[in-house]
Amino acid sequence: MYTGSGRRYERSEICISFFLFVILYFISCISPVHARDVSYLEEVLAQARRQRLHEDPYWHILVHYKKKAFQFESLVDDPRFFLAPDGKTDPQAELEATIRAFFDPDNDESDPVACRFVARYEWIRQRLDLDPERFGTTGCPSFMDFLDRIDPQSATLVFPMAHLNSPASMFGHTLLTVETADKTKLLAYSISYSAVAHETFGPLFAFKGLFGLYPGYFAVMPYYAKLQQYSDVDHRDIWEYPLNLREDEIRKMMLHIRELNSIASDYYFFSENCSYLLFFLLEAARPDLRLTDQFHAWLIPLDSIRMIEEQGLVTDAVYRPSRTTKIKYLASHLPEDAQDKALALSHGDPFSDTDIPEMEKMMTLELAGEYLQYLYTSGDVPQKTYQQRFLNILQARSTLGSAPDETMYEIPAPLRPDKGHRSNRLAIGAGLDGDDAFSEIRIRPAYHHLMDNDNGYVEGAQLIFADVALRYYPSDNKVSLESLDVIDIVSLTPRDKFLRPVSWKVKTGLTRLTGYDDEDHLVYQINPGGGFAFRNDILGMMYVMMETDLALSGALKGNYAAGIGCSAGMIKCPADFWKIHVFAKTLYYGFEDHFNAFEATVQQNLSIDADRSISFDVSRNRTHNFYETQVKVLWNLFF
Amino acid sequence: MKKILLALVLVGLFILPATLGFAVNKDNTGCGLGYMIMQGNDGLLFQVLAVTTNGTFANQTFGITSGTLECEKPSKFASREKLNTYVAENMDNLATDIAKGQGEYLNTLAVLMEVPEGSRSDFYVKLQSNFSQIYPSTDVTSVDVLTNIESLM
Repeated sequence: MYTGSGRRYERSEICISFFLFVILYFISCISPVHARDVSYLEEVLAQARRQRLHEDPYWHILVHYKKKAFQFESLVDDPRFFLAPDGKTDPQAELEATIRAFFDPDNDESDPVACRFVARYEWIRQRLDLDPERFGTTGCPSFMDFLDRIDPQSATLVFPMAHLNSPASMFGHTLLTVETADKTKLLAYSISYSAVAHETFGPLFAFKGLFGLYPGYFAVMPYYAKLQQYSDVDHRDIWEYPLNLREDEIRKMMLHIRELNSIASDYYFFSENCSYLLFFLLEAARPDLRLTDQFHAWLIPLDSIRMIEEQGLVTDAVYRPSRTTKIKYLASHLPEDAQDKALALSHGDPFSDTDIPEMEKMMTLELAGEYLQYLYTSGDVPQKTYQQRFLNILQARSTLGSAPDETMYEIPAPLRPDKGHRSNRLAIGAGLDGDDAFSEIRIRPAYHHLMDNDNGYVEGAQLIFADVALRYYPSDNKVSLESLDVIDIVSLTPRDKFLRPVSWKVKTGLTRLTGYDDEDHLVYQINPGGGFAFRNDILGMMYVMMETDLALSGALKGNYAAGIGCSAGMIKCPADFWKIHVFAKTLYYGFEDHFNAFEATVQQNLSIDADRSISFDVSRNRTHNFYETQVKVLWNLFF
Repeated sequence: MKKILLALVLVGLFILPATLGFAVNKDNTGCGLGYMIMQGNDGLLFQVLAVTTNGTFANQTFGITSGTLECEKPSKFASREKLNTYVAENMDNLATDIAKGQGEYLNTLAVLMEVPEGSRSDFYVKLQSNFSQIYPSTDVTSVDVLTNIESLM
């Protein structure tokens, strides 16, 4: 104890001598212009109190204050974001500490407080009509010069769609871009908030992400760097929504982004996530927007786009296809032999100038070039080989001149994601389970089922989270839990000449399994599978999968059953509003409990509009030796 | 029974991330489960924001897809640095557009090189027809590419 305080004494002594040095240094070199008027500080503080500036909504936007039960609290968790010790919970203390800090001559010259909090500075200066001469600070000229130089002109909300073959990414991401005076989209600044995680161990990663144990930071980089990631490596199509923010509003937003440099907020995947933090930036730009105050138990990025639209900010939607979409598009415009030729070229065959139409030649070479880049980013071709083949292909392409019809590069846009069905689904309906009638109610917060209309979504991708189904059987007059799909993911990606993905599924949650007593028992199920999908013009998407199933329940012998088997099915849309899914599945359970389970199902879905549909399911099951037929009709409402 | 159910749901919640672990790509996939920046980025924000005025690694060959940005000293020739950086970090997509004689990456090059709008189509034709001079070999670096383009003008 004694030694401890002794050390502290030593340190403070060093501090004092350093402080003296600093004071002497300042006395010796400060010009009279920088002399501060202490009485002016008190005057400014009094004025701030009189105006009740700390209650101003804009102050609450800048410090991210939200009303909690008894007091305000900032959502920012980084202590460096606050200048008052109790700044996180006291807007007034923080405001006064901020004003004092601006006035303080001793702040770090390399990163002055007026730069670290440049939006606060500019706002306080204007609201209190500060006299910079008497106040003794000129704010942050370096950043203001930077803004003048880049001259931000417009802002765009950017939404990358689901990652190819990874429906979990369907949850998505939103970021902003700011276009500058040269107006080229590629050179725009992209502004994106994300968690900084070092975990590679999945469960820990998800656990920490769900409970806010990762810090989230903003990052700014050129948009082309983001595009390389999304379009060229991740194969995600992108939607860009230009916003109607004015130049002065964008400048205010940029000031606030500067303030958030290196400032951490606890990142919650479902609530305080990338999309939620962008709301603060938009409110900093246009304070009368009501975005951060809307209640969010969870915020899905796509829903955040709808909210931003409802505030009247979105003016348009622009589609930016990924490399794989380009590959598919180019291939779809070429005959089989030209596709084969493009494949051969990307695998190193030389280009032979045969007697085919110029346009076909161009497209074949362009397809080969895109596909070769795809192979390279997938790690299938080493760099040296890639470079040689790439130059050969492009060299051949360059001799053909430019395409006579540039519209061939315009890939038709699918339906906008924000115009697709909403994320929450409520379903009510009735059915027959053998001879027993039942009524059913289901609700799920997210996101897209294989049977839902694909408009605005990625076809063949399913991401279901926390889908609860309750049933009421009048025969025994009780309501029971029918199923709870904690997570149910399906990724069906058709294989073709160019793309050879593996399709897969994973489902876990509570489901019903027929026992030896011919009763349906609730079991906990973990059911993954993997296989292949193909597309046929007549039959639609077809797939086959190997599956395993682990069921846990007291109703099973030894409390569990482990099964292996396979499934196959096809999905076809005879019309845009009508989808049919036919599948069969057989599983053989061994170890403790030996039995077979077989299922054949036909599902149909009819869309009434984007947010309403009717589904009809008919299934025939055989578990042990009990046969069961189930028929069900559900009315689905997306909200 | 209810307690068992609850326990099972909790088990599910633990398994969920494991399943998502295989669902997610190692790369950034979104801001939901699976989105991450692998490196710590303390202070990254405006270091990177300033990238168009600061120099970065200004010399690259083909096959750059990382988009990594590292800042060095500020340069007096801001627009020149911006051009170097742009060509270095978009080598492959720019080469594709030059070979095609059109495209967004080529347009952006024209903007950075301050080619007047009226003479852009000539500029594109010139680059396309001189592709082999601009990209003479696989060892060509971004600095070579720019030098070769400028020698055509």
